[in-house]
Amino acid sequence: MKQRILTAFLLAAGLAQAQSLDRTKAPASPPPRPYKLPPTFETKLPNGLTIVLAEDARVPMITARLAFVAGNKKDPKDIPGLAGSLASMLTQGTKTRTYKQLAEELDTIGAAITAVTSADALTINGSSLSADAPRLIELMADVARNATFPAEELTLHVQNRRQSVTLQRGQPAYLANEEFRKRIYGDHPYAHVGPTMGAIDKVDQQALGTFRDTWMVPNNAYLILVGKFPARAEIMRLITARFGSWQQKQMPAAESRKVPEPTRQIVIVDRPGSVQADVRIGRVAVSQTDQDYFPELMGSTIEGGGAHSRLFEDIREKRGFAYDAHTEPAAFAEGGVYAVVTQIRNDVVGEALEAVLGHMKQLTAEAVTKEELADAKNSVNGFYLLRLEPQSGLANQLVTIKVMGLPKDYLETYTTKVNSVEPEQIQAAAKKYMGPENAAIVVVGDASKISEQVGKLGKVEIVKANQ
Amino acid sequence: MIRKLAGWGLTLAVCAVSAGAAEPAAEVHIPFEKYKLKNGMRVVLSRDSSVPVIAVYLLYDVGSRSEEQGRTGFAHLFEHMMFEGSANIKKGGHFGFVEGNGGQMNGSTHPDYTDYYETMPSNRLALALWLESDRMRSLDISAENLKNQQEAVKQERRLSFDNQPYNTAIVDRWPAMAFSNFQSSHSLIGSFEDLNAASVDDVKNFFRTYYAPNNAVLSIAGDFQIAEAKKLVEDYFGDIPAQAQPKRPDMTEAVREKGKTETVQDPHARVPGLIVGWPGPKRHTPEWYALYMLDALLTSGESSRLRLNMIKGKQSLLQYQTNLGWPFAGPQDYKEPGQYAAFLVYKPNFKGEEVLGQFQDEIDKIVKEGIPAKELERVKSVLRYSKVDGLQTSLSRAQLLAQFEALDGKPEMIDEDFTNLFTVTSAQIQAAAGKYLGAERRDVMYIQPAPAAEGKQ
Repeated sequence: MKQRILTAFLLAAGLAQAQSLDRTKAPASPPPRPYKLPPTFETKLPNGLTIVLAEDARVPMITARLAFVAGNKKDPKDIPGLAGSLASMLTQGTKTRTYKQLAEELDTIGAAITAVTSADALTINGSSLSADAPRLIELMADVARNATFPAEELTLHVQNRRQSVTLQRGQPAYLANEEFRKRIYGDHPYAHVGPTMGAIDKVDQQALGTFRDTWMVPNNAYLILVGKFPARAEIMRLITARFGSWQQKQMPAAESRKVPEPTRQIVIVDRPGSVQADVRIGRVAVSQTDQDYFPELMGSTIEGGGAHSRLFEDIREKRGFAYDAHTEPAAFAEGGVYAVVTQIRNDVVGEALEAVLGHMKQLTAEAVTKEELADAKNSVNGFYLLRLEPQSGLANQLVTIKVMGLPKDYLETYTTKVNSVEPEQIQAAAKKYMGPENAAIVVVGDASKISEQVGKLGKVEIVKANQ
Repeated sequence: MIRKLAGWGLTLAVCAVSAGAAEPAAEVHIPFEKYKLKNGMRVVLSRDSSVPVIAVYLLYDVGSRSEEQGRTGFAHLFEHMMFEGSANIKKGGHFGFVEGNGGQMNGSTHPDYTDYYETMPSNRLALALWLESDRMRSLDISAENLKNQQEAVKQERRLSFDNQPYNTAIVDRWPAMAFSNFQSSHSLIGSFEDLNAASVDDVKNFFRTYYAPNNAVLSIAGDFQIAEAKKLVEDYFGDIPAQAQPKRPDMTEAVREKGKTETVQDPHARVPGLIVGWPGPKRHTPEWYALYMLDALLTSGESSRLRLNMIKGKQSLLQYQTNLGWPFAGPQDYKEPGQYAAFLVYKPNFKGEEVLGQFQDEIDKIVKEGIPAKELERVKSVLRYSKVDGLQTSLSRAQLLAQFEALDGKPEMIDEDFTNLFTVTSAQIQAAAGKYLGAERRDVMYIQPAPAAEGKQ
């Protein structure tokens, strides 16, 4: 009996609360709880290897990055994609371990080592449980310093890379990126999102060895460790034991290469049977160290940075031209690229392209509103925080700081930089990098269904897919 | 982990490593508290304050396998409707409230459930709960919104399936081969014809039946105070009325001893592929854990058998996806009946039958010879690590806790699944593989590049 009364009372209290709640408005939020980044410690070995340690004891694991300023941009002119092949071959055997031995040793501790390339970096990624950190460091050093590129593994790599490029070219998005980069970057190595078939065949032990011995040297490298690891003296002892004897080496002087001036070009990559058109529109933009970087980032966020952006709301939600429309800014070191990306159904390609170009024009012609900018700032700052939740998020940010040559306090001051952007700065950046003038337009689709519509924008060049 | 698009819907697993990369290691224990509101809504809370973010995850117990004849794709179409506004949130407003306050969100449709999430800075917990509760309470179902989303879903079908290699075979054809019961055998994305046929009344009925608090699990993970979260959950969801418990369809499959074989021509594929699958044992039985471990032996880690023997070794294989629950689920998130299946993309200088034979040989070898102790230990290490890694984000913890609550009534499976998996012995793997994964029981679909596409190269 007593219990029943009590329940009734609680129920009533609950109802009273529910009634007092104003559901018509978004609830007020308490102030954000500040986030303090794990403290980082930075030092350099005598051979020039920079070491960054970020101690973060939340999870009993360690995430490591050994990054070299040597990505696709260092590919020789006649072998685009060489850095990518090198990354794959680093784990295929060393002076003391076959591929199989290396794989089994890694799996024995449940660790993973993979090497990847981007436009500006070649990075060996490693991670393991904290208890296995010494072994992980040993194996990463072996891969970085002692890879032998065994002949039979190399033959298989070449065969499989040819197939994987064929596989990727089945996807319209890959074809679009491939053609778009070519149009934007001309002779610059950034023009290649993947290797050409001819280049794959040129990958041999000598080419791999030359690239490795030129660029994978300690004075061009950053070893970044995030996670729960042994005390400072112990971890430094482990690192020094594995990397201390690595010889530094003079690197060739940086080539001065220019990214070409943007020009308007309209290209259809003909893919018969396509039921929609994959579109890239854009031009050369800023690097991450440029003073226009944050204004461009905010402009890009407002234009196409998510579901609450101009392009998504108009192209998808209002007009239903496409499932998705967004912007992709990529701030490469020698000149970034800014692109609008969308996939339009065949019958409305002409209209949709006009609409996208209209939005690009608007960003240069009018200042963004205060509300748009406030939302974009929240969005970018929030995403920044979310990315730091897993160890890999923080590790990748620390790699970017080093590879791009950003200031040490970049992460601490990130939010301040975002918050200081003004509408006029965005408009100025848009005029320089985000407008329709001189933007390249690349459309992957069935030319027989879309060329007339695309042709309304100007002279169209049609190229065949998969050549 | 965080996908860019709203209403992205279908999830095609793209990692080569077999899933299961989600439960924790023995060293990592995920704390949680679960309870039920008076209206029947189940709630799971898991606190971890190391980064000031939260994940709010809402799972509804309805998926494509709940759909009726003539309404294929409806669960997914409905998922899109959930972003079209509610009593206090205008059409598309959801996106603005989440992204404009520093969050990310999405929804996705699975065979056995539909889910929605917000990941946000932790001071926005009330906002996320307001958004989710408003649409559960008062979704705006209008003819205009329906029309708009029918078109969006068709666009999604073109983008993610009809214009891509392999994917129409995977979503439309494979289930029809692998299952005989309509509930499991129809397309998850649905046909244009069925999508067009959906009416406003269908949508209203679906909403009333399935989007009721008693058919939902809410989980919150990350940086929050338990007492405060409980009060907010009660405030926002406590007075949403319960509905009659939905009737669950009969998903029973006819028993069959022999599998089928089929070949499809794919105009977008440049490289051949094949799918092979077998009806699997009941989830969480010892036999099921044995197949889970067998899959890890085949595919997890650099020294896994497919990698060493087929990518290397025979040099036939290029890429693979395998899983209990493939293609649209993983071991942790499907209802009975389920499958163990593999999707293999191979070099054109091999015949499909050859590659299938090699894959079957890998299984048969295990049946015959068992697993060396050292190899079994090695794969356990790989799983142990990948589980710690996979639970680093609030969203991954919120998802798994809610999925285990919804499917098994046991969020503690986030830890126990792992413990159970580790008791598997070589003899159990041999026995289960022998019983379930024989050549005669398998379904096979060969996916061949259509001549037109080959000619273009």
